Amino acid sequence: MSKPKPRAPPTQLTGVYKPDSIRDVAESLGITNVSEAVASALASDVEYRIHQVVEEASRFMRHARRTTMTTSDIDQAMRVLNIEPLYGHSSYNPPTFRRAPPFPQLPQSGTVYFVEDEEIDFERVIREEKLTLPKPVSWHAHWLAVEGVQPRIPENPPAIPRETDADPTVKLENGVISTLLPPTPSSPGRHSAVRKPQQQLVKQVLSRELQLYYARLTSSLIPSKPEEFDREKKTAALATLRHDAGLQPLLPYLVQWVGEGVVGALKEGATREEDGRVLEVILDVTAALLDNQSMLIEPYLHQILPPVLSILLNSTLPPSHATHLRTLASQILSRILTTHSTTYPSLSPRIMKALLLALISPGKSKGAREGAVRGLIAIGKEAVRKGLVEGGGARIVGSEYGSDERSEPVIAVMDAFRTLHEPSSEPVPLTDEEVPSRLREVVGDFFAEKLQGDAAWARGVVGLPAAET
Amino acid sequence: MSATPGPTAPSPDPSTSASQDAQPIVDAVDRLVLEYLRNRGYKLPEGLPTAVDGASPNDKGKAPEVSPGQAISSEELIKRLAVFSQRPANPNENAYTNASNVVQDLGSSGTSLSIQNLIANLGNIGAEEILSLDPTDKTEGFRELQAWVDGSLDMYRPEFRPMLFPVFVHFYLDLIQSGYKEAAVKFFSEFSPSLTPAHNNILHHLSTLLLPAHVQNDDLAQRFQNEKYTIRMSRSGFDLLIGWLTEGIGGEGMGTGDGFSGEKGKRGRSAVMRVVNNHLKFDVTASSATAVSPTAWEENTGLLSSLIPRANGATSTATGAQAFNSAQGELKLGQVPMPEELRAEVERELRQKAAIENDHNGIQYDVHYLRAQQVPGLVTPSESDLLPHPPTFKTIDVVREAEKIRDWRKKIRLEAAALKDLEENSPQAAATRARALPSVCCYTIHDVPEGVPCCTFSQDLTLMAAGFAESYIRLWSLRDEGLKGMKSDFSLNKIRDKSSLERVRETTGPLSRKLIGHSGPVYSLSFDPMSGSVSPPRHLLSSSADATVRLWSLDTMTNLVAYRGHQNPVWDVQWSPTGIYFATASRDRTARLWSTDRANALRIYAGHLSDVDAVRFHPNSLYLATASSDWTVRLWDVQRGNTVRVFIGHQGIVSTLAFSPDGRYLASAGEDHAINLWDLGSGRRIKKMTGHTASIYSLAWSAESSTLVSGGADWTVRCWDVKGSGGLPGKRENGMVNGTGALKSREEESIETTDLIATFPTKRTPIIDVQFTPRNLCVVAGPYLSP
Repeated sequence: MSKPKPRAPPTQLTGVYKPDSIRDVAESLGITNVSEAVASALASDVEYRIHQVVEEASRFMRHARRTTMTTSDIDQAMRVLNIEPLYGHSSYNPPTFRRAPPFPQLPQSGTVYFVEDEEIDFERVIREEKLTLPKPVSWHAHWLAVEGVQPRIPENPPAIPRETDADPTVKLENGVISTLLPPTPSSPGRHSAVRKPQQQLVKQVLSRELQLYYARLTSSLIPSKPEEFDREKKTAALATLRHDAGLQPLLPYLVQWVGEGVVGALKEGATREEDGRVLEVILDVTAALLDNQSMLIEPYLHQILPPVLSILLNSTLPPSHATHLRTLASQILSRILTTHSTTYPSLSPRIMKALLLALISPGKSKGAREGAVRGLIAIGKEAVRKGLVEGGGARIVGSEYGSDERSEPVIAVMDAFRTLHEPSSEPVPLTDEEVPSRLREVVGDFFAEKLQGDAAWARGVVGLPAAET
Repeated sequence: MSATPGPTAPSPDPSTSASQDAQPIVDAVDRLVLEYLRNRGYKLPEGLPTAVDGASPNDKGKAPEVSPGQAISSEELIKRLAVFSQRPANPNENAYTNASNVVQDLGSSGTSLSIQNLIANLGNIGAEEILSLDPTDKTEGFRELQAWVDGSLDMYRPEFRPMLFPVFVHFYLDLIQSGYKEAAVKFFSEFSPSLTPAHNNILHHLSTLLLPAHVQNDDLAQRFQNEKYTIRMSRSGFDLLIGWLTEGIGGEGMGTGDGFSGEKGKRGRSAVMRVVNNHLKFDVTASSATAVSPTAWEENTGLLSSLIPRANGATSTATGAQAFNSAQGELKLGQVPMPEELRAEVERELRQKAAIENDHNGIQYDVHYLRAQQVPGLVTPSESDLLPHPPTFKTIDVVREAEKIRDWRKKIRLEAAALKDLEENSPQAAATRARALPSVCCYTIHDVPEGVPCCTFSQDLTLMAAGFAESYIRLWSLRDEGLKGMKSDFSLNKIRDKSSLERVRETTGPLSRKLIGHSGPVYSLSFDPMSGSVSPPRHLLSSSADATVRLWSLDTMTNLVAYRGHQNPVWDVQWSPTGIYFATASRDRTARLWSTDRANALRIYAGHLSDVDAVRFHPNSLYLATASSDWTVRLWDVQRGNTVRVFIGHQGIVSTLAFSPDGRYLASAGEDHAINLWDLGSGRRIKKMTGHTASIYSLAWSAESSTLVSGGADWTVRCWDVKGSGGLPGKRENGMVNGTGALKSREEESIETTDLIATFPTKRTPIIDVQFTPRNLCVVAGPYLSP
């Protein structure tokens, strides 16, 4: 059944029931000499009677709140019109009409429709003792609107500009990317586990070109065999992602692909060289998507952020790529925040929270600490101050990795300090008493020592006004 | 008033002497047989294939293009002419009814016939009559009329357009009735497309009429023939029309030719004139054409005379719905004041509750609201106006009324009006929208491929009931409490008091129960309002295609009573706001009032011309509104049983209704995809709200009467700002319609009026029920249609 459309103006309404049909019926009853006049008059009358029944049946259809007429409506109509109903037609298995092409010998007879008469093999029916009961009627409640805003949940249709819903169960199937919408869950409690995949498979068709594009794009970015990797191809692919318009329909799939790629790479520990390259490509893709002016990426931010944060904070990255990856991820983070934090005011606090957790909570790995610091740098000066200085992040890093001057977290922290305040070109050691103790207090012994050589820098980091000299 | 007859109108007096010559005594048996055939609607001419374009010889010279090759045999010509010799002056009747009769007469009398004889008998008038039946005249006349209407000035065109439709219908019916089936079909296919947008339903119905017998048996065709079609026109427009009809020039657009010059044009015009004289009624207004709103024609055009009831048996029918409504006097639309003792009890109850909750501000508000609970500007009915009810009140009444007041205070406030001057991107936009728009909770019913005819929620949202085409009702508990019935094995003797009764109650119950009893699809359900939003309802009413209404007890989960009385499927049932009474609407064209303790109906509200599809009580239970398939809504005085308001303006079947909680307005909607808002006091239409793209199934008002929510077959729920001015976006401010009004009207139906404030699409779920809880949460329900 399709969504009701405005009715098309009637084209040929009259004469649906042809006089020929009357003659056929008459012949079947043994009356052969029906004159043209009688046949045409009868045909008109039969048509009128049919319309009468249909008009009556349409009332029953309307009151049953349906938009398709069923045999039961006709039955009801005949009952109230005092005509014996037609037995044997139930609406549970509506007859399927088959169309037969015009008979070559009798071209004037036109197309013939007939009801398919299915052959039933009793042997088989008897042998099969399975009785399938239809599912009982159930209900499910969901919010169609909350204070006038339709929540974007699976039960509600996607928003009006037909964006394909970014759904976790996207799969390529016979050239059609079909989205398996999660079944609208049944009533709480008893039916919650029931899924009806065959009924709710909604196919959202992507154009052939886009499918092809998608396949080519992903294969050139991350070929199935690592040795096929081609730097030029990758650059070209990223360039089209960055600049081409009209990729919006692909966006959910690309976002999905990014997410899956990250999960795939990080799952196995991500120590291989290969994984590092994959992650780098993925970050490039994300950056390219963000760069694309014609892409409306906002609805997918919640899906893009987790992969980026995962890379940033993951404990083990391939050593050769680690710093580069973390820097890249933090740059992307910074980009997202600068462009979208105005529309999502809650975005930066939430990311901030995640980063602080990685920075301060005990038992985090070295990589996570470094990533967190880099992330804070990406968010901005305030975040660095809050995390490293006020939150005591520097102290923790200092105490954990102070033994190794060259370890990444330490470098990252020093970078962070540089964003807080530029180190002076001609460092003047700290002289007064108050600042060093304060410094020690907020950044810990290790970093206090490192900063001591530059009074202005130290003051800047701690947040004190420059010494009055 | 009717148009002045033009010079070519048939002169009234037939030459009786001439016709009586040809009327000898007939064989009585023949006459009986013919009489019988006629009554059954069988006539000779429809069997004559040549009858289609059969132009009489007189005609051939003038209309050679029609069918030069088709000559008719002299016999048939005689037959046809003979008709006119007998009854020449009654063009409305089927002339051919008597054709055979006359031929029979002539034959039996043994007179030798000749055409010359007959024509001589006919005289002038007869010849004119024959000419008037020429099908080409009708085509020509209608074409001319259409050209004239289209060529008229922009300011008059919207007035003239509605005239095309009745003229078209009458021409078509005349052709059919005269047996010119093919000419009629041709006429229909030529001209119907231009009328289709606005009149699709009727046109479709007409197209099924193909034989004279159908015209005589069909209700709609009979209404067209026996009633006058009312058209509203301004004085100047009417004068132009008269001018054109009589002289063929008045108001002629430039370049539309020389009007009705020539014989043929003249006869076409006279055909139009005949319809105008016999079947149209002009409601000439003093207002100028430009002052009328574009949709006003809907209210004043159509076969109105039978839709409007005769006022108190007076001889003169009111000229329009408006006149009728104003003649009915004022309505008592205010709330019935609460009896003093009940109010005191309610106040005590409120104070108690407030004391428990330690809510001092709340109680101030509640008590204030309780004391001044009247909508200003409405006449307050007195206690005696109400339907009889028990003289004392019960605890449940006190609790219910108290809760009603607490609900009023605690409800979500919806201020749709705030949206009006809202700038789309201003920072407050989101907050204002949130304040103005309701939260909607959708209950989707799964696994019903057949669809669900009806569904409803109890006011306290603990129960949901749905009626199915398979004749049963399913009841769901929306809270995780089982629906407990009674044990089936107990002896009545053992039950003495409440506790022993509780003992025979089932200890556990399923979350869903089937109520079986009906023998046809269940079309409507209603929970009793006695317990309000405090506790679950105790009774449920259901109506079904088996012509019964059943009362179910939700204590025992059994059927208590079957109310029989309707002869046909009962489409709707509704409790009165105070319980005890309920009203039903049926296919038998009546609505009825019942009391739960009587098996027979107390009142029968008859007057609609077609099915009564929906019935609703006014909040003060003094009035009853019915929506009908005759495209009208009526308001009845419950006690007296007479119609007090008629609302005309829908362009399709009206399938649902809703009274505003403050008692001032009525919203109605239906198959024309439009919601109309009516002012009960004046009986006028306030506005028409369009935007739905399929039938509307249900309407609900928010508690403040400021927001209307509708749901329908287009799988959407829509919110409407009732207080907004509405209207179509952008254009059409002053009723100056440019171009083809009627052509565009159907397209405009789907254009959203500006008072549509939100649209919430669902996934393949037609919304069959929309309700507001007393605290302004909107709940909707519908079956999910698997693709």
